[in-house]
Amino acid sequence: MTASEAVMREAQQGARSGEPAEGPEIVVVSSGLSEDSATTRLAQRMLDAVLGLLAARGVRARSTHVRLRGLARALTDLTVSGVPAPEVEEAFAAVRRADAVITVAPVYKAAPVGIHTLFWQLIDDASLAGTPVLLGSTGGTPRHSLAAEAAMRPLIAYLKGIAAPTAVFAATDDWGAGAASGLRERIAAAAAELVALMGAVAGGAGAPESGSGASHEAGGLRFRADPGAQARAARLRDEFDPESVIPFAQLLGR
Amino acid sequence: MEFGIFTIGDVTTDPTDGTAPSEHERIQATLTIAKHAEEAGLDVFATGQHHNPPFVAPANPPVLLAHIAAATERIHLSTATTLITTTDPVRIAEDYSYLQHLAGGRVSLMMGRGNTGPVYPWFGKDIRAGIPLAVENYNLLHRLWRERNLSWEGNFRTPLEGFTVTPWPLDDVPPFVWHGSIRSPEIAEQAAYYGDGFFHNNIFWPTSHTARMVNLYRQRYEYYGHGAARQAFVGLGGQVFMRKDSQAAVREFRPYFDNAPVYGHGPSLEDFAEQTPLTVGSPQQVIERYAGFREWAGDYQRQLFLLDHAGLPLKTVLEQIDILAEEVVPALRKEFDAARPADVPDAPTHEWLAARHRAGEDPVPGGAPGSRAHEDRLAAEAARSEQEAR
Repeated sequence: MTASEAVMREAQQGARSGEPAEGPEIVVVSSGLSEDSATTRLAQRMLDAVLGLLAARGVRARSTHVRLRGLARALTDLTVSGVPAPEVEEAFAAVRRADAVITVAPVYKAAPVGIHTLFWQLIDDASLAGTPVLLGSTGGTPRHSLAAEAAMRPLIAYLKGIAAPTAVFAATDDWGAGAASGLRERIAAAAAELVALMGAVAGGAGAPESGSGASHEAGGLRFRADPGAQARAARLRDEFDPESVIPFAQLLGR
Repeated sequence: MEFGIFTIGDVTTDPTDGTAPSEHERIQATLTIAKHAEEAGLDVFATGQHHNPPFVAPANPPVLLAHIAAATERIHLSTATTLITTTDPVRIAEDYSYLQHLAGGRVSLMMGRGNTGPVYPWFGKDIRAGIPLAVENYNLLHRLWRERNLSWEGNFRTPLEGFTVTPWPLDDVPPFVWHGSIRSPEIAEQAAYYGDGFFHNNIFWPTSHTARMVNLYRQRYEYYGHGAARQAFVGLGGQVFMRKDSQAAVREFRPYFDNAPVYGHGPSLEDFAEQTPLTVGSPQQVIERYAGFREWAGDYQRQLFLLDHAGLPLKTVLEQIDILAEEVVPALRKEFDAARPADVPDAPTHEWLAARHRAGEDPVPGGAPGSRAHEDRLAAEAARSEQEAR
């Protein structure tokens, strides 16, 4: 598996050809295990819903899809040897620069499948801090529906990701029940929450490129116009940059 | 440019016959390896410091190095590493100072923090304070080797009142110090601050990562005014297995790779060799791979190879030393020496350090007047007093 197969940047949604690729980046991390899995389908549906809502607000978003099936071997290698393969580094980098993340996993034995957990356990602590996250899961029976709440949400919380209140679960039944399943509505509700969170951390209605450190006051509280900027800077900080290293005198306590 | 070998003294079962050396056999093998390295013409023998099985690298490296010093004439003896976090800096100062006298100055240290939590409490320390321990302890060690009648107070050991290291370093010049770290920018910064060397043990890391840490150290070395970035002292690790025929090398090494506690049951030999400096093949392949290191690391001064690992029998290790010394090192030395500009220093020897000391050119920690660091300090002080005046 080459890096480009596991981490695919999708065509820019809603962009006219020839326009520069700008706008927020949605990174999907899914662990569907077969080529056309329910998990991959659900991830795509959730992504489409988010992109649709953003497009309706005039925001053209890009998307990158990290398929963990293609990284399974490299993730276990990293676990036992500590050596990060280039394609794993690329996937971690995609998460760090993401404006929002959608992560979807199949549920096995009441918990998300191992490679989902492995991916989020191996990524650096700061990589997801302050990033809005949408959770999704699939399962053979509706009895798996709370795995997202019991297992996936704490993992994202540990990483300081901001998970949307609604997690989307799709059981086998849902795919056959048409509109009656309510799946479409759950996806729409979750997508709306994610877009609202993106707007909140970006300081505008789904327009993350505000860029300024301006602030305003209301009710005696001071709000930064761009509350996500600090978390984003921390995620993307290059700790080996000679210009931003902590001076040694400071480490010495002088 | 100095070339040598470093050992972690792992006691590992040979997967091809199921036998493992006893601790005694492994320690004796280490002596044979060190002496053989000198006979073969390598420049450096370096040992790790270990406190737990399955390693027999010494808890106090000067014990081993003093023995080797007595049995050799020329080879430079180094640690890889000295644990600066859990070893009392007063003991480091005195033990290595003594070793330096025994070995006629053929000694250098590589500082490391150690990476396993359980070791720290054996010596009354806490891994959560790893970086602060490395910072304070080395600062004390640096002063112990340079200031007589030192009075000192810190957070991690009892204060000192008018203490003088005994014996005093040979010719008034402490051993050269390399700071080793694989992913802590603080340690690259520490090496740069003091004008010491920086060693990246890159055996488990892709070149892209190692290059960034080396660059950080070089830029900060220049910032502190010890010289241009390209003149800083850089050391790198590596691991190789060689046979005349590259396929034979792969065939012979694969079972060791596949079963070694540190490599095995993870990435394939091929993937690991692609992503790290591990090179398994002909001497020519090793020469080509390692000659390329200066493209991303710049002109560097120390290259150490890990050869005695993964359960390889002693006989094989000695053969590897011969191939390294006879076929690889001369070619690499020629290539590196020809490429290195005249104003980039070679690996520091005791004589070179003593001459620098007599000339009054020892690096000033934090930067002498004229350095950018010094200018920044003055500017910060001026800004502070202006603020206070208001």
